[in-house]
Amino acid sequence: MMRRTILKLAGIAAVAAVLGGCAASGAKYQEMASSMPGLKAGQGRIYFLRSSSMFGAAVQPEIRLNGQVVGQSKPGGFFYVDRAAGTYSATTATETENSASFKLDPGETKYLRTSPSMGLLAGRIVVQLESAEKAKAELPSLSYTGGEKVSAK
Amino acid sequence: MASLLLAACAASVPVAPARFTPWAPGASGQMLHLRRSVEVNLSSGYTRVLPARSQWRAVGSLPQGTVYQCADGVFSIEGRHVHEAYLVVEQSTLQGFYLPGEANFSPLSPSISLPLGAP
Repeated sequence: MMRRTILKLAGIAAVAAVLGGCAASGAKYQEMASSMPGLKAGQGRIYFLRSSSMFGAAVQPEIRLNGQVVGQSKPGGFFYVDRAAGTYSATTATETENSASFKLDPGETKYLRTSPSMGLLAGRIVVQLESAEKAKAELPSLSYTGGEKVSAK
Repeated sequence: MASLLLAACAASVPVAPARFTPWAPGASGQMLHLRRSVEVNLSSGYTRVLPARSQWRAVGSLPQGTVYQCADGVFSIEGRHVHEAYLVVEQSTLQGFYLPGEANFSPLSPSISLPLGAP
């Protein structure tokens, strides 16, 4: 009985350790908000965020913006890119490809949320437009996962 | 379970190329105000709600009607993929959506009468 309990606890600890390793671990939003560069003329900013959750934590696909890889969907993480005003499609590819199309105006900030969803064969990550209100409320709890501060070309 | 299946097997929203004519900057200003919320059932199987007291700013036109962008947030429709969407309204009736990220029109069938009113 005791041995079974210890094995269960060890199993839970192992899973938690693995999932913990999947979570974002960069600087918190507040730590870097003041150092974020302003937008250049004619550009807008696109934030990508994902809530911290153990569900689907191991599924961390790349995020593409108009076909170009801009980052990775990680639980508890966020990053942003600055891009020229225009039309964009953000995509994640797991067992299927999901996308969100949108228009970015000069000086505008758009927020895109990636989140895990159950697919037919495996977990998938979907991308959706998020309201500024909800995104701003969640950003302080998230960690930066961008490799560098990415500016528009 | 139903929502999981919907997410896994959702149909694409129907789209057709749109002939969007943007209004000149400063020319817009015509606003729509919804007196109460409106539930929109999309052919993809998803539902969207236009919130009560939401405001929509005219930004251009299509042959199907005047195009209104959400003035207090972002609005999207969803099928297999997600699309930012503006309302296309003709004579107080929602005819469909203009998808600015891809310059397409997505018709709504049946169209929906909108409860418009003063802010």
